[in-house]
Amino acid sequence: MAAQAIMLGIIAGIGILDSRIFGVLMLERPLVLGLLVGLVLGDVQQGVIIGAQLELIWMGIAGIGAATPPDIVTGGVLGTAFAIISGQGVEVALVLAVPIAVLAQSLGVLVRIINTYFMHRADNYAAKANFRGVTIMMWIPPILFFLSVFIPTVLAIILGAEQVKNMIESVPETILGGLEVAGKLLPAVGFALLLDMLFSKKMGVYFFLGFLAASFLDLNITAIALFGACIAIIVNLVINNNSNNQANDQKGNNNNLTEGEIDFE
Amino acid sequence: MSSPKKITKKELRQVFWRSFALQGAFNYERMQNLGYAYAMIPVIKKLYDKHDDQVKALNRHLEIFNTTPAVSTTIMGISAAMEEQNANDSNFDSNSINAVKASLMGPLAGIGDSLFWGTFRIIAAGIGVSLATQGNIFGPILFLILFNIPHLFLRIAGLKLGYRVGVNSLERIQKEGLMEKIMAMTTTVGLMVVGGMVATMLKLTTPLEFDINGAKVVLQDILDQILPNMLPLIATFVIYGLMKRKVSITKLTLGIIVVGILLHWIGLL
Repeated sequence: MAAQAIMLGIIAGIGILDSRIFGVLMLERPLVLGLLVGLVLGDVQQGVIIGAQLELIWMGIAGIGAATPPDIVTGGVLGTAFAIISGQGVEVALVLAVPIAVLAQSLGVLVRIINTYFMHRADNYAAKANFRGVTIMMWIPPILFFLSVFIPTVLAIILGAEQVKNMIESVPETILGGLEVAGKLLPAVGFALLLDMLFSKKMGVYFFLGFLAASFLDLNITAIALFGACIAIIVNLVINNNSNNQANDQKGNNNNLTEGEIDFE
Repeated sequence: MSSPKKITKKELRQVFWRSFALQGAFNYERMQNLGYAYAMIPVIKKLYDKHDDQVKALNRHLEIFNTTPAVSTTIMGISAAMEEQNANDSNFDSNSINAVKASLMGPLAGIGDSLFWGTFRIIAAGIGVSLATQGNIFGPILFLILFNIPHLFLRIAGLKLGYRVGVNSLERIQKEGLMEKIMAMTTTVGLMVVGGMVATMLKLTTPLEFDINGAKVVLQDILDQILPNMLPLIATFVIYGLMKRKVSITKLTLGIIVVGILLHWIGLL
């Protein structure tokens, strides 16, 4: 268990560093972490399925701006791991992952506060044009970020796995059934968060277009994305260009320079 | 006068790799500042020999900075071009370097967030999740590939474009309305995918049945005849409505767990 706990801790560490030093390659998402947790615990399929479900719930959560979002890395890794270890399904992962993510968030906040100290020391090195000093101050915080998820994950797996298993087994059947229903409802939060970002009166119709295409025509997501791309091109480039050209023709168009003017290479 | 200082491909490549660590030392006071300065070090070293100039340049890039990481290289490219001008032209106003950074990070973050967080991520995740829910390990892998192709392309192209065309590049793109077009197009695809996901990934059905004069009526069948996936659609818009009324995500999540247990208990879901 100890070796697995350490490996899970490293997975969480990689996840948290994704948006720190890996340029947000999406390694932090539950969909990816679920696969890795499944590999470590020897149940890849279950890991992938749980990861997908957590991804749906947390799809709307993104570290935009200065705000610190719930720590979906620690929540995702521990939720998936406990669900696989206890032999329970997705609903257990959801119920554990959500509070863990909120709890773990506070450690992330703490690291960001501590980082201010290293930033001020970097200022002092900069005043002496000490590039090496600035670089070292830059690389200490990522170590703190790593430890802020590595330590809690390893401890939780070593100390908590047995307790969590017992706790889950003592939960009555009706509650577990209810949690399953809640698990089916929770992705709606993710979708609503996305709508909050994308939905507008003018563009709203495309949401319904996608919904109806899936509901009545049974199109899958790839098909909808591809048709969507075609519709976007038709509406924004083909039709717009026609109306622009007509407008320009009427004005005795002499501005032909716009297209192909930018030299990209 | 000595020969003009020039940034080469080597420095730009170093900036590119260093740009990934932009948020490594994120802090609440000046946010991504240390990461930005770290990325600019190769440029500063190349352009300035004098101690004082190096100090000034380092201090410049340790000022507050915050944007979407994916678009950061575009701004770094512009900063590099301006530092180059500054190193060669004693009349150049070095304050303009930070003024440009400050004026770009907001609008570019807006574009970057809606392009990468609002669109590419959702399309990639939508396709990845639809495979992964069946336990297919290519789900997560496809998700990473689909997202990172446009992501890495923009990091490279943005850095080159920013350095080559400098400050004018973005003004030019904005003038031609290209950015709005790209935004409108990606939002179109993003919204359609979200609509499709609501229909295919929210599996809400009601087990309710009625007995009318011995004939069994299954409520779900009636709902399906009116509009398939009606319950997922309603659930999404109810939660969206609550969000619009500023109900916090934590409250919503906990509320749904309670509501889910209650609805199952009374037999509605």
